[in-house]
Amino acid sequence: MISLGLWTLLQKEVRRFLRVPGQTLLSPVITTALYFIVFGYSLGGRLREVEGVPYARFIVPGLVTLGVVTNAYLNTASSMFVMKLQGTITDLLVSPLSYGEILAGFVVAAVLRGLLVGGVMWGVAGVFSGFDVAHPLLALALVVLAAVAFSALGLMTAIWASSFEQVNFFPTFFITPLTFLGGVFYSIEMLPAPFRAFTHVNPVFYMVDGVRFGMLGISDAPPAAGAALLVVLASGAIAAAYAMLRSGYKLRG
Amino acid sequence: MDTVVAIRGVTKRYGPLVAVDGIDLGIRRGEIFGLLGPNGAGKTTLISMIAGLLRPTSGEISVLGHDVVREYRETRRAIGLVPQEINFDPFFNVEETLRMQAGYFGVRLAEERLVEILGALDLLSKRTTNSRALSGGMKRRLLIGKALVHDPAVLFLDEPTAGVDVELRRSLWSYVRRLRERGTTIVLTTHYLEEAEELADRIGVIDRGRLLVVEDKDALLSRHGAKVLRLSLARPIASLPAPLVAVGARLDAGGSVVTFEASTGDAFGPLLAAVADAGLAVGDVETRRTTLEDVFVRLVSRDRGEATA
Ligand SMILES: Nc1ncnc2c1ncn2[C@@H]1O[C@H](COP(=O)(O)OP(=O)(O)O)[C@@H](O)[C@H]1O
Ligand SMILES: [Mg+2]
Repeated sequence: MISLGLWTLLQKEVRRFLRVPGQTLLSPVITTALYFIVFGYSLGGRLREVEGVPYARFIVPGLVTLGVVTNAYLNTASSMFVMKLQGTITDLLVSPLSYGEILAGFVVAAVLRGLLVGGVMWGVAGVFSGFDVAHPLLALALVVLAAVAFSALGLMTAIWASSFEQVNFFPTFFITPLTFLGGVFYSIEMLPAPFRAFTHVNPVFYMVDGVRFGMLGISDAPPAAGAALLVVLASGAIAAAYAMLRSGYKLRG
Repeated sequence: MDTVVAIRGVTKRYGPLVAVDGIDLGIRRGEIFGLLGPNGAGKTTLISMIAGLLRPTSGEISVLGHDVVREYRETRRAIGLVPQEINFDPFFNVEETLRMQAGYFGVRLAEERLVEILGALDLLSKRTTNSRALSGGMKRRLLIGKALVHDPAVLFLDEPTAGVDVELRRSLWSYVRRLRERGTTIVLTTHYLEEAEELADRIGVIDRGRLLVVEDKDALLSRHGAKVLRLSLARPIASLPAPLVAVGARLDAGGSVVTFEASTGDAFGPLLAAVADAGLAVGDVETRRTTLEDVFVRLVSRDRGEATA
């Protein structure tokens, strides 16, 4: 049972990203295909197998996770920031929507976009490397948790930010580097010791590793570590975003 | 009388700046209340706190008996706000914009209500036009439509006719009167005095965050009101003869105009006699009643004078 107010916000947020399908859907498809051609084939030709799976399959969970979290983050961040710029955030602030409803509207729409993009990427990747999934429900649950965490992060960043540059700060300086160093393209067994140590404190590593266990049934770390980390990240980010909305920080002077 | 909005000791600070300074005010059911003040007086800040866009630093506001912070869901259902700054979402057309805003308030906009709002705001032909493609005046009317979708008990209009042409201004005024006739309480902020004089039943004058006066418009005009006599002299004079100074006349326009203000009940006879005695050649005579503008300028300059003294 959701209220008409929340339903309206959710619908609006979903329509917003569906109206620009080139940006929201086509671009991740092209990016994934490029990753496959460059990493999957050129590198994969030499690497052949990582932990007993073909390299082209090995990189799929990481790429999908990256697509999901980036798009979940971007959806809340750009939507909230644009509403602040346009002044249309006023429409929500004068409405009787509760803090929880506003949060849910933004986060659920962003998770849907993340899953849509992740699903499309997984479909494209499947063409190159096959469609079987080891633990489908676990894989889906972990991806959803990751999307929830990053969409809440995107929302908080946009509430705080006063320029587009600040909105992009987080993806540029955290998400992308942590992802590239987080075992998307390699097994940590392949790294020299100092980098391996760094990987062990990188949350994205556990996230990708957990999703890889869900999808391929192989992992570097105990899969429970990834799952636990994602539960903590998602609930922490949601609690922080709720507290931020409730406090009126930046939005209500 | 029935108070719809009760404001008690409300202050809003921005660092050292006190934008709203301990305001007490009650808005009565069914009235048009004009909140009048120069730019930066604190009008937008005050109504933003009532509508829930800003939190007061201190003090309390209730709408229909509900606290605007603790019981915001109840108070916001009762309030419609037309913000000062135009905003629009270029993703949506006029109908979608109105339906969405109604949805946020938990209201499914019935077709006849939609048509009624569009008709009243002269936007029927723009129903499926993207909001980006509307003219400035149309965007402002769409903002009014958005504030009305949930049929609020109190409508706040923040400088609704700023930058709007004369014709649209007249039609907005008549629409505001129609809303009031149907029972909507209206709070209007403006720095445009003719607007308050035309529309308001009661007027509050605000300057530098403080409410200087709250009074029925007619009472305000007659208490502070006066009539003004302007005599344009055929030949300018260097200084006003003593008998004219004694009755309270003033020399303006570089010595070519004598201005005299009297309360509504007084006569101009003695002044005219004094002018004749002084032998001044009068070229033209003009009389008018004081307007809200005169009252306003007097109140604000008195307030500022006291503060700097
Ligand atoms: N967000 C803000 N931060 C700092 N000062 C502000 C802010 N908003 C308004 N002010 C100041 O508060 C005062 C009242 O502003 P406002 O309520 O907009 O006046 P009005 O609507 O009467 O023109 C002004 O001095 C304005 O500069
Ligand atoms: Mg203002």
